[in-house]
Amino acid sequence: MGTPLLWKVFGISGLARPRRNRAGSTSPGGRNRILRGDVEEEDQFQYAKTHCLSSYYSVFVARLAIMVMLAILIGLLTILTWHFTRSYTAKSLEGLAYGLRYELLQRPILRMWNILNSTVEITTAQVKLSEYVIRRYNKPVTQAEQVELYEMMKAVTWALFASHKALNAITINYRNGFVQAFHRDHRSNNTYYIYSDLSNYSISSNPNTEPLSSLEGWNDQTIRGNLSAVWYREPLDPISGEKIGKAGPILPDDLINIAGLSQVPDGVASWHVAVSKYSDSPLLSAALPVWDPSNKSIVAVVGVTTALYSVGQLMKELVEFHSGHIYLTSQPGYLLATSTNTPLLINTTKGPKLMMAADSQDSVIRSGAEWLHQTYGDNYPPSHEVHVENARLGNQHYYIDSFFLNLKRLPMVGVTIIPRKYILGKVEERAFKTLIILISASLCILVIGCLCILILTNGVSKEMKLRAELISHLDARRRAEASSNYKSQFLANMSHELRTPMAAVIGLLDILLCDDCLTNEQYATVTQIRKCSTALLRLLNNILDISKVESGKLVLEEAEFDLRRELEGLIDMFSVQCINHNVEAILDLSDDMPKLVRGDSARVVQIFANLISNSIKFTTSGHIILRGWCENLNSLNDDAKFSVEHKKSLRALKAKLKQHGRSTKKALKKDDRVILWFEVDDTGCGIDPSKWESVFESFEQADPSTTRLHGGTGLGLCIVRTLVNKMGGEIKVVKKNGLGTLMKLYLVLNTPTDSLEPLHREDFAQHGILVLLALHGSMGRYIMSRWLTENGVSALEASDWNGLTQTLRELFYPRSSDGHTNSFGLHHSSDVFRVDEAQNLRDHESRTLIIVIDIALLDLSTEIWKEQLNFLDSYNPRAKFAWMLNHDTSNSVKVELRRKGHVMVSKPLYKAKMVNILDTVIKERISSSPLRNKSTKEGDSHDCLELENIHFEGVSSDESDAMETANNADSRSEFPVEVNNQMCYRKNCQVNEFSCQTRQTLDQLADLEDFNHADEDPERRDLKTQEEKKLTSRCLGEQGNLGSGNSTANRDKSLEGLRILLAEDTPVLQRVATIMLEKLGAKVIAVGDGLQAVNALNCMKLADSGDDNRISEPIRIENSPPYDLILMDCQMPKMDGYEATKEIRKSEAGTELHIPIVALTAHAMSSDEARCLEVGMDAYLTKPIDYKLMVSTILFLTKRLD
Amino acid sequence: MDVGQMQKRLLDYMNSLLKEGILDSQFAQLQQLQDESNPDFVAEVVNLFFTDSENLINDLSNALGQQNVDFKKVDSCVHQLKGSSASIGAQRLKNTCISFRKFCDEQNLQACLMCLQEMQQEYLLLRSKLDVLLQVEKQIVAAGGSIPIMEF
Repeated sequence: MGTPLLWKVFGISGLARPRRNRAGSTSPGGRNRILRGDVEEEDQFQYAKTHCLSSYYSVFVARLAIMVMLAILIGLLTILTWHFTRSYTAKSLEGLAYGLRYELLQRPILRMWNILNSTVEITTAQVKLSEYVIRRYNKPVTQAEQVELYEMMKAVTWALFASHKALNAITINYRNGFVQAFHRDHRSNNTYYIYSDLSNYSISSNPNTEPLSSLEGWNDQTIRGNLSAVWYREPLDPISGEKIGKAGPILPDDLINIAGLSQVPDGVASWHVAVSKYSDSPLLSAALPVWDPSNKSIVAVVGVTTALYSVGQLMKELVEFHSGHIYLTSQPGYLLATSTNTPLLINTTKGPKLMMAADSQDSVIRSGAEWLHQTYGDNYPPSHEVHVENARLGNQHYYIDSFFLNLKRLPMVGVTIIPRKYILGKVEERAFKTLIILISASLCILVIGCLCILILTNGVSKEMKLRAELISHLDARRRAEASSNYKSQFLANMSHELRTPMAAVIGLLDILLCDDCLTNEQYATVTQIRKCSTALLRLLNNILDISKVESGKLVLEEAEFDLRRELEGLIDMFSVQCINHNVEAILDLSDDMPKLVRGDSARVVQIFANLISNSIKFTTSGHIILRGWCENLNSLNDDAKFSVEHKKSLRALKAKLKQHGRSTKKALKKDDRVILWFEVDDTGCGIDPSKWESVFESFEQADPSTTRLHGGTGLGLCIVRTLVNKMGGEIKVVKKNGLGTLMKLYLVLNTPTDSLEPLHREDFAQHGILVLLALHGSMGRYIMSRWLTENGVSALEASDWNGLTQTLRELFYPRSSDGHTNSFGLHHSSDVFRVDEAQNLRDHESRTLIIVIDIALLDLSTEIWKEQLNFLDSYNPRAKFAWMLNHDTSNSVKVELRRKGHVMVSKPLYKAKMVNILDTVIKERISSSPLRNKSTKEGDSHDCLELENIHFEGVSSDESDAMETANNADSRSEFPVEVNNQMCYRKNCQVNEFSCQTRQTLDQLADLEDFNHADEDPERRDLKTQEEKKLTSRCLGEQGNLGSGNSTANRDKSLEGLRILLAEDTPVLQRVATIMLEKLGAKVIAVGDGLQAVNALNCMKLADSGDDNRISEPIRIENSPPYDLILMDCQMPKMDGYEATKEIRKSEAGTELHIPIVALTAHAMSSDEARCLEVGMDAYLTKPIDYKLMVSTILFLTKRLD
Repeated sequence: MDVGQMQKRLLDYMNSLLKEGILDSQFAQLQQLQDESNPDFVAEVVNLFFTDSENLINDLSNALGQQNVDFKKVDSCVHQLKGSSASIGAQRLKNTCISFRKFCDEQNLQACLMCLQEMQQEYLLLRSKLDVLLQVEKQIVAAGGSIPIMEF
């Protein structure tokens, strides 16, 4: 029972071992793979790897444990089942078998007993009969009497013999030696009577002999040894007992044993086993003496012999039925009966003899006897009972049982040998089969179970592998992203390095262009170079913008700005280009647009600059409209609006815009986020609908061939979309009726809540103003007149000079031109002007007429324009003129117009300008109404208008368009340079040729500036300043010629009296900066690192406070800081600029002290700037230090500027 | 040689330096800072730069010769050199510094050593050029002329 279990356990571990080995070999394999792939990432993977490995191991351990448990369970089940089924059957069978064996043995023994008993009975009966007969014939004296006695005896004996068929023989041996015997030969089935010759025996033998002496009287020798005695045998009929043959003489004792006195030596019955010549089985003979009536002597001996044949027969029958072997032995071991047919006797020379069981010819009996002999030897257990269940004889197992029959004279031993197979064969076979089936079934279950576990755990380990792979994939992705980031970062970092040389190139070219000594050819070449450089710079800027966005370094500013003004400036800027292209640039912003929004103005402007420049590029005629309106954030959610709206026709849309504005106004007040919708609508070549999405990709153009025609890199729209998306908006190309492209976008911007109030607008309607728009561009005119009408101002339109004159005539001389009414109406059928309206207008003579007139309406090519002006002048008192000037309008015209006191506005016309014109006229009318003095009024208005104009131009563009900025003292007040610039410009304004020359340069500069909208960038500012500086230096040069140098002196000491702490570790830089500052009149204290800077500050304070110099003493709050400003290098030993600033700001905490700190850094990234500002610095200068920028920054921070 | 010729020579020389990219506009700014109150300003700054740079280059070669190179230290040295060279307008040296720092970030010792070598060469070149320049300037000043300022 233990062995199979052990075997099973080993079997399982044997099964499990290869699996574990396999697992062991795969897991390092996996690790190798990981290692191969990511050698450099080893440390990063350490965790994941060990995690993986440990989980691998745990999986295998779990797998193994589950398998072993399963195996044990199944093994136990198997064994128990087998044991119970087998052992119970076996036990019950064993019991049955024992009974059977006992029975088997008992029956032959009983038969034996019966035989013995019957033999004894017969013998006793014979003896009794003999006694009776002998008493009857007591003392036969005569021969006759003797014979009679013998005859009687013969008859009696025969009767007895005949009645017992089983008897072998009955013998009577008389005292006188006479022998009478009946013998039955079972083999031949003959019966014989044997008797001895009477003549040899004396009748006169003494019957009265003493019992003791009578023994002597028996002369055995006479019977056995006496050869002279003659015996006769006569065959008898077995049934009747008749004599059937002749008696023949035989040798005495030849046939049978005749029991003699020797066998009853003590006069009692005796038993023995005999053999006979004629019988092949042993015989059992009993002998009993016959006493004489006086009971004193033995007169005869009766012997009865019975064959044991029947016992053997019975045994055979039993064995036939039950199988096995049975034998019976006497106590010494002589075989008495067996269940086989083998002979029981050995024929020796002396006749047959009894045979030992161990010599039996039957192998089973022989080996059984031998086994018994070997096992027990002569020491049989008491009573000779042996029960052996599993004796091995030959090749088979046998049951061996023996019983002892203890007869007094003849102890016997019976042995049964039954093959085990007979009793337990079937059971054992069944048990074996069951075992086989159980084992195979459990093996199957085990295998299946193991497979299941394997599959199950395989799933787990696969998942784990997948997870590991996922980790590695994620890591790879992260690395890929990082490397792509490096690229962008590299570009962004290179921005300074790339832009600086370009700026230098352009600056140098400008200088070269100013040079007088250039030939025309050279001049043309240099101009070309300059254009190319500008293009290159623009490209660079675009690429850098994109890389900046990609590297995530683009940080949108959040500052309030006037969106309207920015856009107006933008349109102003582009109008120059547009006029050159003969394209109308129109700005159409709805009135509900918030005045102020929060956001990154530069980026917003950049978006529109890119879009508009893109439109200009592809538009050769017609118009470009920038529309804008406002929408409530709540309606953003239904995205459908975007798609629905673009289906509407333009006119319907425009009408809708106003509705939008009104309906959302209320909602806007609650939420300060607004959605600003914009459309850029051009009449260019348009974009194929299939390219509507792809034009926003990098380096993608709708039609590759356009690159040849129009140039460009295809980066502009990509930047636009990136920026729009960054501002929470979206941009799309939408379907448009007619030619051209319609780009629609929205931006989500914050707006200060107060700015949401509708702009206070003067109610122009009450002033009764009539505006005559005499403009070339029909679209702009149409939009403007619509707007004016909506605001309660009547508007008339004229598209050319003739139309204008006709309208004027119609207005002022209605009666005289009555006849022309028809033709007038026909003539102006194209204009939105109705005759009845004109009539209506005519009735109100008191109205103020404002004529907004395009300078292009005049014929400037010849001198006709003067006459035209004079013609218009005739309406002067009743009409106010506002001239729309081109950028290239010649000075003489301007001078003339100014002289006439007309309002001059540069193109294009948009609402703000219109409002301005209206305001001016209304103001003028109010102021002039009490005073009727014409001349003074004109002079006043001249100045007024001029200033107005200048101011307007200045504020309209924050783009530092040099020409306009030059006129403006406010827009860039932090640059004192520009003050000079302005001054010099003013001076030079009178000098005509210089003006022209500068104009050219400035235009080019403006051109350049077109691409530098984002002036928040320090680098760009830097660049710009450089250019301005160049300009300044040139102007200064001119100034020098003109003999005015006082501004230089002014600049030189602009930092007079300032105390500046300079923290810079590089000695060279330290020295340079010191000299720079000292030259400006500042007092400079230079220190080598941040720690020194902090200490210097503390010491100064302590020294100032005067009384103690303990460092631990909290710093005294001084009324005035020890230094006016600190210039702080960012990267320094011991303590860097950031730390030092933090330290200083910490010490300042709680006081109202705030020393301005300006960072000096070699990095030119806005993220550095952000960090600088974060730690509490106020401004930020890049190395190498730009002189002008530094001065302006310092002045700004020390509030010297105001 | 008369002063005018010398001035022209100096200008030509400076132009050639500009063309070769050895100097840039920053140097002109330095020159602009030089006036009567600081007559030797350029020479002073340049000499300061030389001393500083030599120290830094020595430090660098020491640091790179170590068993375990402290790239942080190397980086800060290079950064310093970059700052000072940018300040005097030594453009090529500055560019070398920039690439040096890139390799420093990558911890690429081999490339750093190459950069150091390049840097030493650039430095020697710059030094010789500036020495000549200062020499000429000195001569001009000695001859009583003013130093022409280059326009970049």
